[in-house]
Amino acid sequence: MAAAMSKSDALVLDPARSIGRRPVRRPMPKLWLLVLPASLFFLIFFILPVASLLGMSFNKTIPGVLGFSSALTLDNYVRIFTRSLYFDAIFRSVGIGVLVSLVCLLLGYPLAYVIARTKVPARVTVLTILVLSSMQLDMVIRLYGLMVLLGDNGLINQMLLASGLVSAPLHLMYNTFGVVVGLVQVTLPFMIMSLIGVIRQIPPSFEEAARSLGASRAAAFRHVALPLSMPGILSGSLLVFAMSISSYVVPALMGGWKVLVLPIHVYQQIAEAGRWQFGAAIAAVLFLTSLLAVIVYDRAAAYIAGGRS
Amino acid sequence: MRDSNDAIAWPFYVGSALALIVLVVPVLIVILTGLNAGDYMTFPPQGLSLRWIKSFLTSPTFVPAYLFSFGLAAATMAIATVIGTMAAIWIQRRGGRLAKILRGLFILPLVLPGVVIGLALYVFLISTGLPLARTFYGLLVGHVIVTTPLVIATVTAALVDFDRSLEDAARSLGATAWQAFFRITLPLISGGIGAGALFAFIVSFGQFEVSLFLSTPDLQPLPIAIYTSLRYRFEPTAAAAGIFAIALVVTSTVISARLVNFRRLFGGR
Repeated sequence: MAAAMSKSDALVLDPARSIGRRPVRRPMPKLWLLVLPASLFFLIFFILPVASLLGMSFNKTIPGVLGFSSALTLDNYVRIFTRSLYFDAIFRSVGIGVLVSLVCLLLGYPLAYVIARTKVPARVTVLTILVLSSMQLDMVIRLYGLMVLLGDNGLINQMLLASGLVSAPLHLMYNTFGVVVGLVQVTLPFMIMSLIGVIRQIPPSFEEAARSLGASRAAAFRHVALPLSMPGILSGSLLVFAMSISSYVVPALMGGWKVLVLPIHVYQQIAEAGRWQFGAAIAAVLFLTSLLAVIVYDRAAAYIAGGRS
Repeated sequence: MRDSNDAIAWPFYVGSALALIVLVVPVLIVILTGLNAGDYMTFPPQGLSLRWIKSFLTSPTFVPAYLFSFGLAAATMAIATVIGTMAAIWIQRRGGRLAKILRGLFILPLVLPGVVIGLALYVFLISTGLPLARTFYGLLVGHVIVTTPLVIATVTAALVDFDRSLEDAARSLGATAWQAFFRITLPLISGGIGAGALFAFIVSFGQFEVSLFLSTPDLQPLPIAIYTSLRYRFEPTAAAAGIFAIALVVTSTVISARLVNFRRLFGGR
């Protein structure tokens, strides 16, 4: 890279070098060399693999055989959409994703608002470091903590039993509830991060103006700050939704393999049954669901932007 | 807390407290479990002890996994930072439709399922016969794909902040475009690049989903090793390993707080 750049330096005589002329903002010579490595890397190790996985999903499923053939069939997709085991998993995944987005929004908005509006810099830094650290920490470690807390012999059940509030342990995990709690824990920081930027751009004077005109604090929030937060609410929800439907580790640990969502099916078909082509088809459905969410988000964001101007 | 910020209504503080509990309590429990004297976590804890820390430091599975993850994250960081920074500069300088399309492509791995990315890569490496399947390099490639978008986003945010008239000034004084870039722009955006690099390191270090199909029993990153042990029993040794991972993440976040203005990171697009 360095060699290519020094060569381009030597070759180009820049008109802006002549003294006294206003510099013209010309593109740097051979600028495209900068994007070449990333483009090649993504082409070979991202686009081609994903495309060939999609291609393989149209091949007949032969257990234990991994390879491509030119004989295309829709069998795998027909199977997904006619067997309730797989078909239900699509709705289960989407339903859990929507629920987790809502819970994250309810929990995340207040903290994002406080971080965005607090005037004490040290407090903002501490809160931001807390959120960023929990966002970056290995999910499996955080789930370990949750499992110690929520298990049948976990801390919550120990406390409840000791206090006599319940006579038998509550089942707080290895079910859908546990998966939702796990996903909320894992995705909440991403919701908060998406909201902070947007809330910070809303001048506090807007709400103050509404209040000076007689609006209650709640009304000022509902009619001024909340609508203006919509871009962040949308992008945060998209991110949380996409992460929730894609997660394998959370349903695997918190659902104890009983909550059958799409990523669990992908893993079971491939790692346990060796049915590569069928697993690829489920992966493709998962992939398209994520992509569909991105498109819906794009439309909604454009609609909101259009409605405001 | 309320008197100094009376612009914020009390329900927001209640909600914030709940959110902080959700974020922080599981992490505190991991720390407590790793330092607890008993064989499993009870309430109240049975007293502090370093026995699980010792057990981690002599563990034949967790120590190699920790070191493996560290090496993998360092290699991932090096590659993702170089190709991501270059791509971000190109995107910002080139502008227009093509830059927009490629930016969308580079960001895509962030919203697509990690399990699917790892699976696609695994199938591709096996079926094309590339000698990367089931090796360190297969994992490395997968981690670079999911961390490069983070570098691109962070460096782009730093570039948006950068005042290009500084570069114009250098060029009017006779510097070539590339000289101005290397002597003026690059040093000024180095904080953003550093933060992007740390981000890539930490995300690779904690990466589970992409590693799932690409790792083998001989090549186990830490998250996979902890996951494997969690499926059978709650080993406090795994929590002790978690303490070392938590320390690493908090340190890197504190460092990146010094490198970049967090406010830019949120606002940056």
